[in-house]
Amino acid sequence: MLNEGLLSLATWLDSHSWSTQLHESLYMYAWIETTHVLTLMLFLGMLIIIDLRMLGVIFTDTPAAKVAAQLDLPMLIGFCLMLASGLALYYAIPVRTTQSVWFRLKIMLLIAAGVNAWLFRARMRASVGTWDMDRVPPRHIRLSAGLSLMLWAGVVISGRTIAYDWYDCHKQLPDWLYQVAGCVHELAAET
Amino acid sequence: MIDLLPLFNWLDTSLLATAAKAYGGVFAFVQMLHLLAMATLGGMVLVGDLRLLGLVMTDTPSETVIANTQRGFGIALLVIILSGVFMSAAVAMKLYYNEMFWAKMIGLSIGVLFYYAVRRPLLDADHSSINPITLRTTALASMTLWISVAACGRWIGFS
Repeated sequence: MLNEGLLSLATWLDSHSWSTQLHESLYMYAWIETTHVLTLMLFLGMLIIIDLRMLGVIFTDTPAAKVAAQLDLPMLIGFCLMLASGLALYYAIPVRTTQSVWFRLKIMLLIAAGVNAWLFRARMRASVGTWDMDRVPPRHIRLSAGLSLMLWAGVVISGRTIAYDWYDCHKQLPDWLYQVAGCVHELAAET
Repeated sequence: MIDLLPLFNWLDTSLLATAAKAYGGVFAFVQMLHLLAMATLGGMVLVGDLRLLGLVMTDTPSETVIANTQRGFGIALLVIILSGVFMSAAVAMKLYYNEMFWAKMIGLSIGVLFYYAVRRPLLDADHSSINPITLRTTALASMTLWISVAACGRWIGFS
């Protein structure tokens, strides 16, 4: 049901002439993808610095909350640019992307990273007064920072792997992989 | 001019190339390391340079920001170079004839030279003793260089 709905939405987006033009453009698609990668330096770069502070690796003489607060804005700008360029990339190739196992994994990891960031911030705000000046923050903060780095590493690798066609719907795949990728037509053909 | 074709020919038939071509998963993992190191290097450069421009971490002395970002830069650069050599081995001959690859290599060389021969020695001094215009120019040049290197890297795949 969900797969059918997602495929319908992707097919509708794919029917737009702008989607085709963007996909087939000589430079526009390449520039958007370049922007998407470059925003990694801004968004992920800032996030890595904040997480490394929470792990007690860098800026150990600067209060942890101060590092986080001062890098929040550039990180948010980077995230917005990354999201906008990511949506444009999706719009250019909606059907294949919707049916990519890697894209689905990336979205799941993004959600997990978002939830972790939200919990992390809430935990940090609640307790920061007691450890803000500690060179190495408490274990639960370090665990959240480590998890954040791992989740974002997962987002990066799954994002990069979307380009590979190893598990695309046109390949002969096991049923469960067709399910995971949302290969609606291939599943229908098998039944 | 030195002809690097023999080096690329050797790389193309090396054990590294065989491993990079045979194991897609390993290649993807190394590519992830390359991207993460790029993000780390970018973060370290951007935070330092944006601080010199007075745009971020203005409550923290710029000397502290620069000192804290130097080690991360060095480690990220090392990972970028090592993972880059591994990835290059898989498509060595293709890269030899790719203009964007050479643009990236030239940019990377200038970037490393600029960082270790200009930016770092300059910023090791007390920043209040440096002309603010020199500081800002250094920051802008540094950001331009590294963003260009990253952009050229992405364009290798498009050219």
